[in-house]
Amino acid sequence: MTTAVDVEGLSFRYPGTQAGVHDATLSIAPGELVVCIGPSGCGKTTLLRLIAGFLVPDRGTIRLDGRDVSALPTRARECGVVFQSYALFPHMRVWENVAYPLRVRGVAPEERRRRALAMLDQVGLAGFADRLPAQLSGGQQQRVALGRALVFSPHALLLDEPLSALDAATRTTMRDEIRRIQREHGIASLLITHDQDEALSLADRIVVMRDGHIVQDAPPQTIYDAPADAFVANFVGRANLVDGVVTGPAAVDTSLGALVTREHALPAGAPLRLLIRPERIEIVDGTQGENALAARVLRDRFFGAARRVEVGVGQGRLEIETNARDTVQCIRIPRDAIQFLNDASNS
Amino acid sequence: MVASATRVDRVGPFAAEGRSRTANGAPFWGQRATPLLLSRAWGYKLPRWIARFYLAYLAIPIVLLVVGSVGELWLNTLLPTGFTLAWYMQVAADPSFRRAFTASLAVAAIACAACVLAGLPLAYAIFRARSKVVRSLARVVYQLPVALPPLVLAFGFILVFSSDTLPWLGSIWLLAAGHVVLGLPYFLQTVVADMQRLGLRTLEDAAESLGSSGIQRFVHVVLPSLRHSILSGLVIVAALSLGEFQFSNLVAGFLNRTYPVVLLQAFYGATGFACAATVVLLLLALAAAIAGGAVSGSASRLRGVAA
Repeated sequence: MTTAVDVEGLSFRYPGTQAGVHDATLSIAPGELVVCIGPSGCGKTTLLRLIAGFLVPDRGTIRLDGRDVSALPTRARECGVVFQSYALFPHMRVWENVAYPLRVRGVAPEERRRRALAMLDQVGLAGFADRLPAQLSGGQQQRVALGRALVFSPHALLLDEPLSALDAATRTTMRDEIRRIQREHGIASLLITHDQDEALSLADRIVVMRDGHIVQDAPPQTIYDAPADAFVANFVGRANLVDGVVTGPAAVDTSLGALVTREHALPAGAPLRLLIRPERIEIVDGTQGENALAARVLRDRFFGAARRVEVGVGQGRLEIETNARDTVQCIRIPRDAIQFLNDASNS
Repeated sequence: MVASATRVDRVGPFAAEGRSRTANGAPFWGQRATPLLLSRAWGYKLPRWIARFYLAYLAIPIVLLVVGSVGELWLNTLLPTGFTLAWYMQVAADPSFRRAFTASLAVAAIACAACVLAGLPLAYAIFRARSKVVRSLARVVYQLPVALPPLVLAFGFILVFSSDTLPWLGSIWLLAAGHVVLGLPYFLQTVVADMQRLGLRTLEDAAESLGSSGIQRFVHVVLPSLRHSILSGLVIVAALSLGEFQFSNLVAGFLNRTYPVVLLQAFYGATGFACAATVVLLLLALAAAIAGGAVSGSASRLRGVAA
């Protein structure tokens, strides 16, 4: 089975700067939704523009459905693109917008209209066919953009921060809609975002980028449970990062106190970075038990379903996420909630 | 408390609006302590009176022109005597005025056509230029004619085009060319600004990703999106051309004289005739303004904004 999108060793540098994409390798299987996430300027939009053909790479190859498209112009690549601003043609009606790719491919007018209307049904905009884009809301424009990008059955779907221009409520609805439509079409998709909730909930696989490099490429659960380094740990989900020194085969000394951890093969005295997710830390009554420590509450914030408490433990600080409402006096860190970063024995 | 609040609301310049305080509760202008000159009455009435005087200053000459164009006799009195439409008949019958009217329309039409043919690709090139330096430079260059006195342009044209190699002085094409130089900056400004407002680059990227070639993009997306600003720009160019005097007076040949040039001659004759002839030009300008308004109105509807 050929991969739908295959990027190998792709490099591009914006002239006069250090920004761009450096040696990116990525593949997307048919029907898979890959979300590329990273801070501003990390190169994720550049990667999308390279795959779409708006930029010519300095090095590397891009394959769509097994075909090498690195030298082909954008219009020959058969990639559907959804832009952040939707880029709907303002002078064309909604159905004409959706039918445009068919028009440039020489499809007959009646056939175009029929297929455009069918696509509008699919994206949930039946009845909006004769409106102008200016008369639609953000979410509706989004759906039109999606329909337009899919109507000609492209090899891949590329979405450039499609939800960032929407308000929070519409965003959640459209997230599910994009997923539904993408699954119905079974089309390989690459979605760019800086929102980790989007990434975690939508993706079959997440690609984390930083400074033009791909730092980790894995399913959401792996990214969350086993981040490649502190940057990924911090970027996806909230993280407590604690530095420590190995004191035994299953013990680490940290600023929080002495902790008992999983078995590891590191020598005594080796420095270590630990990751503890806030929701794994338990609130207990006393300091008996493994890894039970006294805590002083520094900040207590209520978020409705969850509560985030920042506590001082020993010489350090931890952030706890819990839905219990009781006062925090002691906390316990379960042994297997402690992950090691940058360490082979973690996997 | 409520009773005193309503009592206060009936006093002062904002009484009609029923307000004595701003929305956040702060008092307007301070209700008691301000000196007379800065009191509410003056602070509010003074700008209104300035506006009224200015509008009168603008309107009086135009009103007098219209009045003079239908007056039978006007000799050193405040207003003319008698009422007649004969002046308009005379203007309509005068052969040089008729020729000048059609010449003006022809020159305006040629100038508009040249602006579209030359100006549109130029605007596109300026918009698409990758280098910011090139774009800034281009902007300076194409806006230069705005600062250029038409008289200077006319002298230049006379110098260049009355030589043996380029003996074109007096032709209608040269006249129109001068009008293009004078009007193109406004056309370009309107169109380039609209390109930026539309996010034309992203629209073109979208069209490209959907499979269209360069020409298809231009015809399907660029031109239709820009049609309102192109029309607005052309209305500006036409209005400028119709009213242009300084350049046309020097460069137009005798048979190609545009309307404003011929109009100057009218003021050596009867006042009524001159007024009637000027009102004709005024009506042309009004027509251009209405056309401009109509274009921007339909453009606003397309954007989904209240016109």
